[in-house]
Amino acid sequence: MVPNDLKEVISNGVETSTQSINQLTMEEQTSQDDGGVQITCFSEVSNEVTLHFQIIRLQKQIYAWIGCNSAKFGYLYAAAPTRPSNTVSVTSLIGGASDNTGSGVARRLVLKTGLNIILACDIPKNSPMLEADAEKRLVQKLISLGYTKPKM
Amino acid sequence: MDISVPTFPVRHSSLSLDIEGNKTEIIISSYEDHFLIIVTQIGSMGTILHARKDEGVSIHPTFNVSVTFGKRDEPMLVACARQLIEQISASGYSKGLVLSLGLKDHSVGTLKRIVSAVIEKLPVVT
Repeated sequence: MVPNDLKEVISNGVETSTQSINQLTMEEQTSQDDGGVQITCFSEVSNEVTLHFQIIRLQKQIYAWIGCNSAKFGYLYAAAPTRPSNTVSVTSLIGGASDNTGSGVARRLVLKTGLNIILACDIPKNSPMLEADAEKRLVQKLISLGYTKPKM
Repeated sequence: MDISVPTFPVRHSSLSLDIEGNKTEIIISSYEDHFLIIVTQIGSMGTILHARKDEGVSIHPTFNVSVTFGKRDEPMLVACARQLIEQISASGYSKGLVLSLGLKDHSVGTLKRIVSAVIEKLPVVT
């Protein structure tokens, strides 16, 4: 065989293998509707607690759910940046009180990402480490998915 | 090497359809104690309603449906939520319902189509 042909065959082979490996390393599931709705689900373990995350991206809003060892819905909050001063407003929609974990998480999510967010959160009260960890992972994921707005 | 990955505890299903000329996205998620149904034509969740079966021992269940966010003056949205929670309850689930309706048009025709599309898709996530 002519050396040039052989080189081409080998480089094509390498390219195909690299693509397959890239596909195998995706652990989370992201499904995309034709309409542009993206749903991302993943789970992570933090100090023997399993945190579940579900992110649904709509055009102008993001819905996120954080579960803690279970599939309970938790409490629902809405948060968004409010013009003109870019402060964040949060309100509890279902089952919340001002001391529940979700409202702080929702507020800081909006502060860090600039997005309009609806958050369902089942993290128990008085677990600041868990709350901080869940929030961090969620923000990281939102940034890595490219959903966040650039800071002004 | 067979590595078993635990499946994600929340099942979801989504569909995209055209209702009276408006492109509509429907996403249904099933949690342990609630169903979340997002119906949107406007790119955001819009009005959010919460529907639950009342605690009680009577033979015929009663339901509590309320708007928690958004339009409180559109009775058709409440009717839509009520129909869906009744259907959920009739199918044997005691889960609550969080329904989001972000619609361009609140006509009876649109809401009927939404209810039938959701009821058809519900068995997929349960």
